[in-house]
Formats: sequence, structure tokens, C-alpha cells
Amino acid sequence: MAMSAVARDTVFALRRQIAKIEGTLPERLQAPMAGAPGAIPGEARSGLPSGIAEKLNRPGDATGPDMTRDRTIVRRGLAVASADAFLRTGIGRLAVASADAFLRTGIGRLDTALGGGLPKAALSEIHGLETRDAGAVAGFALSLVSLVLREKQGLPILWVGTAEIFHEAGFPYARGLHALFGIEPGQLLFSEAPKLLDALWIAEEAARMTAFAAVILEIRGSPRRLDLTATRRLHARAQNAGRPLLLLRQAGEADPTAAPVRLIVSAAPAASRETVAGPLAGSIGRPAFKVDIGKSRTALPGQFTLEWNPNEHAFAERAENSVAVVPASGRGADPAPASGAVLAFPSVASFAAGGQPSRQQHPAHRGPRRAG
Amino acid sequence: MVSHRDNNTQRIAALDERAEALKLKRGMGIADARAMHPTIDVVEADAEADRRLLEGLADWCDRYTPLVAIDGEDGLFLDVTGCTHLFGGERAMQDEILTRFFQQGFDVRAGLASTPGAAWAAARFHGDRIVAGGEEEALLAPLPLSALRIAPQTRASLESVGLRTAGAVMAAPRAPLARRFGATLLLRLDQALGRLDEAVSPRLPVAPLSVERHLAEPVVLTDDIERLVSRLAIALKTDLERRGEGARTLALLLFRVDGAVNRIAVGTSRPMREPRLIQRLFHERLTALEQSIDAGFGFDLVRLSVLSVAAFDLAQGDLTGDTDDDDADIALFADRVRARLGEAAVLKPVVVESHLPERAVKTVPFAEAPQRRAPAAGRAALPRTTPPMTIYPPERPVRLFRSPEPIEVPATEIPEGPPMNFRWRRALYRVARAEGPERIAAEWWRQLPGEEEAPTRDYYRIEDSEGRRYWLYRQGLYSSAAQAAPPRWFMHGVFA
Repeated sequence: MAMSAVARDTVFALRRQIAKIEGTLPERLQAPMAGAPGAIPGEARSGLPSGIAEKLNRPGDATGPDMTRDRTIVRRGLAVASADAFLRTGIGRLAVASADAFLRTGIGRLDTALGGGLPKAALSEIHGLETRDAGAVAGFALSLVSLVLREKQGLPILWVGTAEIFHEAGFPYARGLHALFGIEPGQLLFSEAPKLLDALWIAEEAARMTAFAAVILEIRGSPRRLDLTATRRLHARAQNAGRPLLLLRQAGEADPTAAPVRLIVSAAPAASRETVAGPLAGSIGRPAFKVDIGKSRTALPGQFTLEWNPNEHAFAERAENSVAVVPASGRGADPAPASGAVLAFPSVASFAAGGQPSRQQHPAHRGPRRAG
Repeated sequence: MVSHRDNNTQRIAALDERAEALKLKRGMGIADARAMHPTIDVVEADAEADRRLLEGLADWCDRYTPLVAIDGEDGLFLDVTGCTHLFGGERAMQDEILTRFFQQGFDVRAGLASTPGAAWAAARFHGDRIVAGGEEEALLAPLPLSALRIAPQTRASLESVGLRTAGAVMAAPRAPLARRFGATLLLRLDQALGRLDEAVSPRLPVAPLSVERHLAEPVVLTDDIERLVSRLAIALKTDLERRGEGARTLALLLFRVDGAVNRIAVGTSRPMREPRLIQRLFHERLTALEQSIDAGFGFDLVRLSVLSVAAFDLAQGDLTGDTDDDDADIALFADRVRARLGEAAVLKPVVVESHLPERAVKTVPFAEAPQRRAPAAGRAALPRTTPPMTIYPPERPVRLFRSPEPIEVPATEIPEGPPMNFRWRRALYRVARAEGPERIAAEWWRQLPGEEEAPTRDYYRIEDSEGRRYWLYRQGLYSSAAQAAPPRWFMHGVFA
């Protein structure tokens, strides 16, 4: 038994190392066992659908403790991890294990709700509900890029868009980007594709390169070509290259997507400018965004009002507008135990907190949290 | 029979053998010809189509020599110096050209000589003759004056003084000839005899390097063409290495069996000689052109030419072998996108010193943009492109409309103030807060003298009731004059 435990630890160490080399994340799931450390708390198990709970329990009862090592599951990849798995493993541990796989926004609540931050080597969707939100969506995406650039200073950024979106929402303005996000004009590359297919091709080609710090793909509406397959291709390339690919969807529906994270961004009224004598009435201060989590690996909902600080290139959360959607946990950053009964698939009832976006806005919440 | 309009009369421009047998001649009026033979078939001449056909033939002749020039309306000059041995000698080459043209349905005459003038005369007055060096005089002497490529007026006046053959002109003293008939006559004569060099100006610039492959079996499939391109590129690489250069523009010429020629060019942002990369560029280009290339019965000659070259700097790799030259990657990426989607597919912003927002940033195609300096090895911070001019730089939007969009402003609180609400793209926006104005005047130093001064713009930062921020401007000022039109408002950008 001791030998097998040592061997198992070795195997896990090796797997972790392989995963680190591959840039993916090993997710160790411990099957529930009476008395074993890390077993699921009672109320969590009671929340599991009976089918899953039985399946997990039965082999252990039938064959005894020798089967434990067989019931340890190693999960790789971010997209395949389902919500219940993350809830059971505990988000705090996950965040520690994979600190370098995520881009931390610097807002604790948002990072926690996203399960550690925005995945770096992945496709992330940022939605704007209307084309007139394009400024806010672009601004939020660029602030994320600005965070990426902290580590990858000087690497260029590619912005791919269809001719339609650049005409409808305006062309990115290099002077504004420099002032607000510290992105040098020489670092920027734009690609204007006449058709959607061309834009997807350019983005795919760019996503497989490591020479770009980040690639932004901007699409308007909900074209049929931008389906699960297309997003999966983009996601796979971004994963292989280890670079973020931000898909900006202006005025698009919440279609099925392979992206692990979907954020819905709109503009929020800016705070007044700060002066020595206090806030200047009637002035328009730093850019502010309202961010809704449409889809994430943890499936925790949330709405955040973020403010971008162009001097320090960092986000700040604005307290007075925020609606506490995730119930505050009594034990710091880990909200999971406090969120009530833990279910395999989040039911509608568990989202009864105030200010919750309606289901029509977030169809992604309806189904189980699988890839896409 | 082909007619053309000359001096308000329809005249015969060209005719075939059967018409000639009916004793019809060039220049004869169509009315006369019809009176003689009412059954003749007359077609209107189309000079444009003739020229296109001749250009097509010139393209096809490119397979024999890169130096092909169009001569007048019905001739082609091929400078075959140094090319004949590739086709088995002068005689074999001329025979092949004539046979090939005949198979394509053309009645062609050819002459080969060591001067363009002699070859011109041989082709027109002998047909299928090869003039050895030194025989030009013997060739030209018995020929009429039109063999000297001189203007008809000169020819007429020469004939009026009794000089009716080229030989007679050659025998006459040169000084009086030059005095009376001008220098052109003697120039043409000297050129034909090889005393003066005559340059044939080729239609297309001659590629510094080209490699080609003649195929016994014509290829049709794009994959096969791509494979050939990579083989040719391998052959090209050694030449480029020897010269210490890399290709900046490459052209792929596909000669179809029936005479059509496809010319596919790709440009590179930095000198390139790697066959794999060249093949990838052509892969994108061929994919993009797949619909427009008609392989027909296949291509029997594929040529890869380097149209322009640049010095190739060798970069030292490090010992681990995994130097990631990001700039080279990006240049290749941009080239591939460019090859598929055109020159303007990858754009780079360039900052221009200007107050006008739309002029302050120029987007240029990637290949024309100044190369970004690679960050230093220590990943030092990049130097700022523009020094901060003021302590509080004016706020600029993240997105700018390419052309400002007119908006309707029903009312402003004070005449020179921001709007209270506005209508943009048929939707009404209520202004919650506004900052401004920032007055930006037109650049008088760019305006032409006498031109009316462009109105100033007053820019406002606007936040609407839903928190979106816009950049509006009012063009011009309110005027007390009754007839003056009220100033117009425009939407110019969107803030984050």
C-alpha cells in the first residue's frame, strides 16, 4: 500500500510535468471516499445528481480500498472541464496550481469567478450586445491585451476584422490606444479582410504563431460560418501557440462556442475626474466597463463594473455600482462552500440572487457546461 | 477581308489569299471591291483586339527569350542572343517557332539576323531566312527602300531622285544624303548594317534571375504546379546565394499548351531565398487565384523569375538553434496574407505630426511601413515614438470613423455648447455629460493659395445616458448672419 502510494505520487508528479510542458492543466479529481482527506463535504455530495453519486460510490463499496488509485481521474485541458468538477476540487487550489496559465485581471472577485483568471492560451469571447458598444468592447479587450503586454513587452498585436465592422464601428485609432493602453503604434498590425472567411483564415494563421502577444478577431453579427467548428479550430491553435486570442463579437448572439470564457461587456458611466479639490462635477473620467460573465469554466455568474486606470495600466473595481451576485464568502476568496448546495449542473434556482441577468441574455447557462 | 475607316472612306485594311486571288488590294475602297465582287465578306477592323492578340503572342514568345518587344502593329522582335543553343541552334529554333505558330493558326514569317534592321527586312522580304553576320549588305542591296524602315515621305522623295533600292542608297555619298533626307535615313541604314547598335526595348523588364522547366507532359493540377515551384525555388536558391541576394518580387509564369500565359507575382516584405517559404507564398496566391487560372489542356513550361532582388543579410543563429526571429515570422505571415488577399490586407499605423485626428495616424500597407526596430536583447522598454507634448495630453478615442458621420443636433443649451441630444444612425441619444470643446483648426499651411479656409472643428467628449462615450464635433461656428447656414455636427469616434 505504501509502495503504491509512492508510485502514485511519482506518476502524478510526472503527469504534472508533462502537462506543464504541454501548457495544459492536469486536474486531479479524487473520488469520494469515507475518511479520505479531501473528500467532498456532506452537503456537496447530497447536491450531486444521484446517478453520478452512485457511479462514484459503487466500485469503492464493492471492491474495497484497493480500487482507490483506479478511481483517480486525471483531467487535462481547460475546455473539457465541467463545472461540477471545479466546484468539487475547490477553486482556490486550482488557482494556485495554475497561476501561470491564467491572465489575472487584478480584480479578486472576477478572477475567482473565472476560476483563476482569463486563460492565456485560449480563445476568449467578448460580446457586445449592440454595435454601438464597440468602443467599450474594444476598450475592454485592449485593457486585457495591455495586461498581457506587461509580461510580453514589445511583442506586436494583430487586430483582424472584416471590412464591415471597421466601417460600422470605426477603425482602431492608434493614438488613442497609445494614450490609454500604452500600446505603441509600431506594435500594432491591422488586417482588414473583405469577407468573414478571410478574416477567420487570417486569425487562424496568426493564432498559431508565437510572434504575436495577442490576436484580436472582430466579427459583427452572428454569421453561420462562425460556428462551433470554427471556434474550436481557433481555440486549438491558440492553445498550441500559448497565446490569447480574443474574439470580439459585436451585436452577436450567444452562439455555441468552444471558447472557455465568454464575457459580455457594455459601457458603464464613467466616474468624475479626480482633482486635488475632489471629484470634478460633470467631467468624464476613466473608462468604465460593465462586465457580465456569460460563460466560464466555473459557471459562477457575476456582474462587475470595472474601471481602467490608464496610468498604471490596471483595472479597479468600482464598489458602489457593483451588485453582489456571488454571495460573499466568510472565508476570503473561496466562495464555493458558501454558495449553497453544490450541484453537478447549476440549476436556475441557485442563481436567484438579485441583479442576475435574465436567461434570455445568457443561453449558455441553460445547458451543462461542456466544451462549447 | 477586314475594312477600316480612312479619310471618311471604308478601305481594305487586310485581306486573305482568296481575296488576293480576286485581284483585290490593300487600300482599295470597300465600295469598289463590292462592285467587283458582291459576295465578299467584310469585317470592321478592331485595332484594340489586334493589339491584345499581339501582346498575347509576345507573352507566349517569352518562352524563347526574356527580351521580347512589340514592333508596330504586326511584328515582334525577339532578342535571341545566347538563347539559340537551348533550342538546338538558330535553324532549329526558327523552325520550332514557325511550327508552333502555324499550329496555333497563325501565318508567320520570321527572319533571323545579327541586327534588328536586317532581321526586319529578312522577315518581310524573304521569309524564313537566317542571315549570317556580315551578310547584311548582300541581303539589303537588292531590296526596295521600304526594307529600310523609313518614313513613306522620305521613301517617296528618294524614289523621285532615282534611288529605288537599298543598294543604291548605300552606294550614294553619305553627306548629301544626310543633308537632304535627314539623319534618320543613315541611322536606319547603319543600324541595319550593324555599324551602329540598336537597342530593342523589351516589353517587360528582364528578370535578373529565372529558372524554368519544360515539361514533356503538361501539368494541370495546382498541387503539381506547387511542387514544381518548390523545385524551381531550390534551383533558384543557389543562384541567389552566389549573388548574396534575396528575392523581393517573384513571378511565376505558366505557359499553357495553346499559347496563353499566366503571370502570377508575389511580393515579399524582406529578401527571401528559402524554397519552402517561396512555395508557401505561391501556395496562398494559387489558392486565391484558383478560380481565375484556367489550366485548359495543361501547362508545358513553368518558369520562376525573380523580378527584383535586395541584399540578403545573414543572421547568426545561436547554438541551441531555437532563435525565434519574430520579425521574420511576422513578415512571412504578412506576405502570405498579402499574397492571398491583396496589398492592403495587412496594415500598419504610422504616426504623423498633425493636429487633425484623421491625419495624425496613417495606415500604410505592411510592406511599405518602416520596419520596427526589434527590441533589444535585454527586452528594454521601447523608446517612445512621440515625446509627451503637454502634461495632460488631449483624450483621443479608441475607434475613429474613416469618414465622420453626420448627426442631427436639434438644439444646444448655449449656441457654442455641446448638444443636449442627437440623432445618429436613426437612433436618439441623450447627452448625460459633456467635456469640451477642444478646438481644432484646419491646417492653413496645407491649403492651396486662394482656397477658402476650412471651418474649424469644436470637439466634445460626450457620455450618453447609458454610459457610452463618443467624440462629436461641430464644424464651423454659429453666425449671426441670417443667410448663413447653421453649423453641422459630426460623429467622429468612440471612446472606450
